[in-house]
Amino acid sequence: MEKVFTRMGDASGVWLSKEEVRAELEEGTNDAADRGKIPPLTEEELDRLFDICTRREKFVSVEPGNEVVVTFDAGTLKMVRVGVPVDRSQAILIHERALGSDTMELAHIDYSYKQIKPIAHDEKYYMEQAQLGTVIPLFYGAMPNVGLYTQPDGPVPNWSELLPMGKITEAQAAQEEAVEHAERDMVYVGSKMYEGGADGINFDTTGASGDADFLAALRAIRALKEKYPELPIELGMAGEFVLGMHGELYFDGVRLAGLYPHDQVKLAEKAGATIFGAVVNTNSSKSFPWNIARAVTFVKACTEAANIPVHVNVGMGVGAVPVFDTPPQDVVSRASKALVEIGKADGL
Amino acid sequence: MNRDEVLANAIDAMVNCDEKRALEIAEKAIAAGFDPVDILSEGFSVGIRKVGDLFGRGELFLPQLIQSAEIMKKVTGVFESVMTKEAAEKKGKMVIATVEGDVHDIGKGIVISLLRTQGIEVIDLGRDVKTEKIIEAALEVDADIIGTSALLSTTLAGQKKLEDELRKRGLRDRFKTMVGGAPCTQRWADKIGADAYGEDAADAVEKALALLGKG
Amino acid sequence: MGMAITHAIASGMGGMRTTGDLVARMQMTKGMKIKEAKEYVANKLGVSVVDLANEAVARELREELNLGLVHELDGYAKGMEAKFRIAKLLGIEIKSVKNFIERAGL
Repeated sequence: MEKVFTRMGDASGVWLSKEEVRAELEEGTNDAADRGKIPPLTEEELDRLFDICTRREKFVSVEPGNEVVVTFDAGTLKMVRVGVPVDRSQAILIHERALGSDTMELAHIDYSYKQIKPIAHDEKYYMEQAQLGTVIPLFYGAMPNVGLYTQPDGPVPNWSELLPMGKITEAQAAQEEAVEHAERDMVYVGSKMYEGGADGINFDTTGASGDADFLAALRAIRALKEKYPELPIELGMAGEFVLGMHGELYFDGVRLAGLYPHDQVKLAEKAGATIFGAVVNTNSSKSFPWNIARAVTFVKACTEAANIPVHVNVGMGVGAVPVFDTPPQDVVSRASKALVEIGKADGL
Repeated sequence: MNRDEVLANAIDAMVNCDEKRALEIAEKAIAAGFDPVDILSEGFSVGIRKVGDLFGRGELFLPQLIQSAEIMKKVTGVFESVMTKEAAEKKGKMVIATVEGDVHDIGKGIVISLLRTQGIEVIDLGRDVKTEKIIEAALEVDADIIGTSALLSTTLAGQKKLEDELRKRGLRDRFKTMVGGAPCTQRWADKIGADAYGEDAADAVEKALALLGKG
Repeated sequence: MGMAITHAIASGMGGMRTTGDLVARMQMTKGMKIKEAKEYVANKLGVSVVDLANEAVARELREELNLGLVHELDGYAKGMEAKFRIAKLLGIEIKSVKNFIERAGL
């Protein structure tokens, strides 16, 4: 029986029969459909996905005319992370002039709005300087990171300590207070950066601290849009569903906990976001066909529900990209093609 | 109510975080002479593991999970009053930590909450914990299991370091080891020689009970 | 890093090698989905949607319209200069261009 080389979610190689690949695809799409209460992929879409997964080429790509815009969360941090000692303005120009990036993001190594607040004027100056020499759109980005407002790092009681003690009401109150602080900081930093000429503000890895994190970002976006109606804002998520750390937080009458991408994007739109960054987690114990079928199913439901462009997160551990520091090009390129051509992503 | 009805009601009460009903079912089960260990392990415990599963799907949230854990504590208290001393004993002792260099502990906290509801005594060492400290604590409390969590691919090596260090000190056979966290897999557990891998909170409980010979 | 490049090559517009920055600006400023954003830019440039990511076509257009190039920089618009032209071509406001006009007293 002919075997196909593919990978597991931890990037390790595995040989599967074509029947096994097909079964993994079906199981993956059904898992997404079941969890998200959304339709599974059609037979035709599964056929296309099967073709992408089983092609013999090492690297695949979209067909001409199907290209999309790519954005780079934490853009200027990436060079430093791989040990290249270039400063941020150099990193921006390397992306613009050498790597063919469609957009870029100025980011600080301490990638949270709370930490940026005291140095916002320095960051604004850096943005102004960078804009003089840059042609491609330049975002400013950081994370809401509401967890940083908890003791000992911040002013509110630590809900991660309160919850295991059964102090649910106190933990919820702490989260509500943190939302107020976070919203204020995000609006402050976002305003500064936009006034410094940022082409857009990116709220990255939103929801990392649960539903309070998501609420703070939504409220900050709404406030920023009221202040600057023309300001482009990208809202990128941390995980495929909003973790209910609080459980009873609402935005415009919608409970945030447990929302999947196709519902998250509707709230992003309501708040005033211009681009939504959908996330689907990669399961490191499952195969690439399983993960990509699942990711495409969620993304398709999200892009169909969205009126704004959806840029799917495809970094390590999300969007079917393996949880591995150097994700192999064979599956990364396949994820790229599948999410764009079947999931109908507007960008990555 | 027959046994199956008691079990179904117990599971339902846990999933719905209904404390009053859970305690009523416990009292009725005792009054009707059902085996407390059976009702606890096949009913209420199954219910709270189901809560863990629903949490993992985004259908129930952390406050409900914590609330269920609190209800479980009370229900266990009710049963323990009529259980033999032997049956009421803790099933085992587990030391748990997020490895050095990693400050992520949301998932670990959830695993701990569920483990405690299953009669496992858990000693939480917190996050960013040095290997040496984990081993010292395990020796000090005479743990049955050492569990480690890592969220980052860059900190995963901390789990291997623990295995290596235990072997180096001639302590590997003294403890069972369990690993978990997003970049962690069964393949990784096999590679480093860990005894079990917990994919999520519910799975971690199953595996821990199995390691203790109680699964 | 390598992963981001993989995506850019497999699916990206090509940035300034082509017209990726222009399409990105339409998504960002007008919230256009990819199809609409590409059609808008193609219409402004007078080319087909497929040619938006065609380096040979885009290179000539960028040179002709002076929208910023990745090679042969001498004598051509760079940075802010190119963005003045991009804002005008696309009919959008670019915040840094607006700031420049105000601060330079133009």
